[in-house]
Amino acid sequence: MSLQLLANVIVLAAIYALVGSGYVLIYRVSRVLNLAHGELMMVGAYLLVAVAGVFPSNPPIALVLAALCGLLMGIAVYVVLMRWMTGEAVLAAVLITIALGILLRGLTILIWTTQEFYPGAIFGWRNPPVHLARGVQISSASAALVCMTIVVYLGLFVSFRLTRWGVRMRAAGQNPLLAEQRGIRLHGVYALAWGLSTFTASLAGMLLALDAGVESTMATIGLKAFPAALVGGLDSLPGAALGGLIVAVAEIAAIQYVDPLLSDVVPFIVLLVILAIRPWGLFGSREQLDRV
Amino acid sequence: MSEKSSLAQELSLFGTSARRLRFALALAVLLVLPFLATPFQLDLLNQVLLASISALALMLLTGFAGLISLGTAGLLAAGAFTVGVLFREVAAPFWITLPAAAVLGACLGLIFGLPSLRLRGLYLAISTLGLHFVVVYLGGEYEARETLSTGIMIDSPSIGGFTLSSGRAWYFVLLAFAALALLISVNLRRTRTGRAWRALRERDIVAAALGINVTRFKLMAFVVSAAMTATAGALFAYFRNFVSIDAFSLYLTVQYVAMIIIGGMGSIPGAVLGAAFVVLFPYAIEAVAAYLPARFGNVVFAVDYAAFGVVMILFLLLEPEGLIGLWHRLKNSRIRRRPGTKSSTAPR
Amino acid sequence: MTAALLEIDGLKVAYHRSALALHGVSLKVMPQAIVAILGNNGAGKTTTLRAISGFIGLDDAYVVGGSIRFAGERIENRPPHTNTARGIVLVPERDKVFPNLTVTENLTVSWSARASAAERHRLETVVFAFFPALAELRSRLAGLLSGGERQMLAIASAVLCNPQLLLVDELSLGLAPVVVEDLTRRLSAIRQELGITVLLVEQNANVALGVADYGYILENGRVALEGAAADLRGRREVQQAYLGQMSGEERRSYRDLRHEPPLELPRE
Repeated sequence: MSLQLLANVIVLAAIYALVGSGYVLIYRVSRVLNLAHGELMMVGAYLLVAVAGVFPSNPPIALVLAALCGLLMGIAVYVVLMRWMTGEAVLAAVLITIALGILLRGLTILIWTTQEFYPGAIFGWRNPPVHLARGVQISSASAALVCMTIVVYLGLFVSFRLTRWGVRMRAAGQNPLLAEQRGIRLHGVYALAWGLSTFTASLAGMLLALDAGVESTMATIGLKAFPAALVGGLDSLPGAALGGLIVAVAEIAAIQYVDPLLSDVVPFIVLLVILAIRPWGLFGSREQLDRV
Repeated sequence: MSEKSSLAQELSLFGTSARRLRFALALAVLLVLPFLATPFQLDLLNQVLLASISALALMLLTGFAGLISLGTAGLLAAGAFTVGVLFREVAAPFWITLPAAAVLGACLGLIFGLPSLRLRGLYLAISTLGLHFVVVYLGGEYEARETLSTGIMIDSPSIGGFTLSSGRAWYFVLLAFAALALLISVNLRRTRTGRAWRALRERDIVAAALGINVTRFKLMAFVVSAAMTATAGALFAYFRNFVSIDAFSLYLTVQYVAMIIIGGMGSIPGAVLGAAFVVLFPYAIEAVAAYLPARFGNVVFAVDYAAFGVVMILFLLLEPEGLIGLWHRLKNSRIRRRPGTKSSTAPR
Repeated sequence: MTAALLEIDGLKVAYHRSALALHGVSLKVMPQAIVAILGNNGAGKTTTLRAISGFIGLDDAYVVGGSIRFAGERIENRPPHTNTARGIVLVPERDKVFPNLTVTENLTVSWSARASAAERHRLETVVFAFFPALAELRSRLAGLLSGGERQMLAIASAVLCNPQLLLVDELSLGLAPVVVEDLTRRLSAIRQELGITVLLVEQNANVALGVADYGYILENGRVALEGAAADLRGRREVQQAYLGQMSGEERRSYRDLRHEPPLELPRE
């Protein structure tokens, strides 16, 4: 495999890992599979477009602001919608997320039309290529994305292990009943999980938008990242990273050596394989399967 | 659902004379309808009938047997493409393509059903999702290879000198197929298979302990449902004289899932009601869109998406037992809800 | 006349709206008492505890008759977190700790968000005073603890929630006698020093009557017998049926009792 191909794999793996972490965050803490994640990522990208319009000469402010909006969006989704499904059948909650995804697709087109937007252009940034060793190059936005993925994972790891809210989130994820008995407010924990999830999704969406623009079909990437989360284990963060790598390798190898049309289906072939041989994923916990 | 008192009455198709009368009236109305409706209304009716077939199929699988499947679009595509490919390659007539579609559907049902032996609930749904993408990819591959960027054109089915192309003729054909699907559903529900499915749905571990062959009934549910759906897909191909893989998106699957939710999970009339609702919904939105500012008027499909999402959310939050549940609550015939819970339905 | 902390009157609980699990259970728990509920499997002990703690709805069960009063207020069929807020904390039979969290983290989650640092410190020292073994296991994952250690952790976590009433479901299940003895001593100490009232559900009557002040014996969803622990221990029927002391006659059910007067202490 040439070095350029390897670089492409790493970039794609980072995308899937970053987006995939959002699925894991919500699933691990509240056992809900958020199938609107791709659409929420897309909204995050559009939020950058909107904020960029207000602060075109101040990209850092715009980025931070847009990311914060992404965080608030997740909390809002929980408080307004998902909160009512806490305690109900998981499947009903998943169906609501599907419906939410459809709603968001419609809304984004109504607000921003089907036109393609380039927030990078709004900032006047040309996304120069970064030259790595031996003639290998990736775009700056891609490089930023890889770095962001590493930072996000480290941040999540630290906060899960060391902060009080992190302990609460892990407790609620393991045994919501016992957590409630011990005085943990589940609604607060779940809202935080949703907020973090859309925060990371928005980061991913924004960086993808800076790289290649945003338009209404961007949500597909979110759906393709789902197999990455599943392969690693829906309740394992390191699993999502590894899963992202596996799916990225499979996808790029398929495009390169077999058939470019396979690009959208390879992640799901990997998904089917893992469901056949190890449904709870590489690092996932087995009991999760029976709880559903 | 019924007020019948004995098992014999339960097993008979029409228990009381009141039901027989109601059925006769309904039949009369259905037979007269195509002669009263405008061509546009007739087309809508046809679409509803066609959708009912797959809605009933999904309801059998998910509502009765409790097996979650997101594979409807893939199965519809399989049926439609069977017709398209056979027609294009060997000019096969409908009396070959339709059974072929059903058989392919049955085989795919077996494949889609295999994960259900190991996986449950969410994971089962995810596996069917994966299979959806595989089927869609294969269809896309065929179109790409044959450079059919706009899809396959199909002639209307004909026999003797008669070609099935008029709205009225299609109405009766689709009515017959829908009636057949209805009959299959009603019969399966009343018989041993239906009871086995209901047991599966509640707790398949318990069902196995009761001696029910879980494997056989799970696979049977998938096979029957898939064959029905693929047949509907084949009919769809003939109905529109056209098939293209772009029509078979995840959104289509979600629409069918919405049909059984909006209609009422586990309810046969619910599936038909839900089908009617979902099919007619975009037309209602279009009518409303005329009053919206021009900017929205240009992207009615987006208004449709947004409105559909909202409606689905409302039903899931407020009336998870669907229109049938709503009807019953209005009739106040049964206390279905306990304080503080919105449990999913029991089969009727 | 001191008022009971917990008073249950004629409690009827039904599962799936049809099968009655409790047919009218009445019991009282005085403040700072240790009360035991005994009985065989299926007698209704756990159901009673669940009805008190509010977690009964999970099993599709409901209080369909009678009342549960805690400090004078009726609490039946209320959501669990309101009962926890009132100071009723449950140590469940299974899934009593968070297995992938360390001992410290398990204890940490119990801290009320509103507790000040000083309060937390006080509680921590208290807990580690009662369960010194836990202090040494601070960074061990709870899932790797032995049965006895896990039970200690569960009780400690519950105590950290500052309860008025501690409900313990099956203290001794699966534990060695030595461990159980140790636990019961600590439970007594907790009641003594912290003034926490304890309601204990136990299959092992020896254990329960050893630590409790008062006992209720449930059979088929009803209270078959009640009394001060010492008196119950002395009763021949209890000895035969529950304390495993056979006397050549066959084990009898309480409903066979016809010529013995029912033992009921005057209610205060």
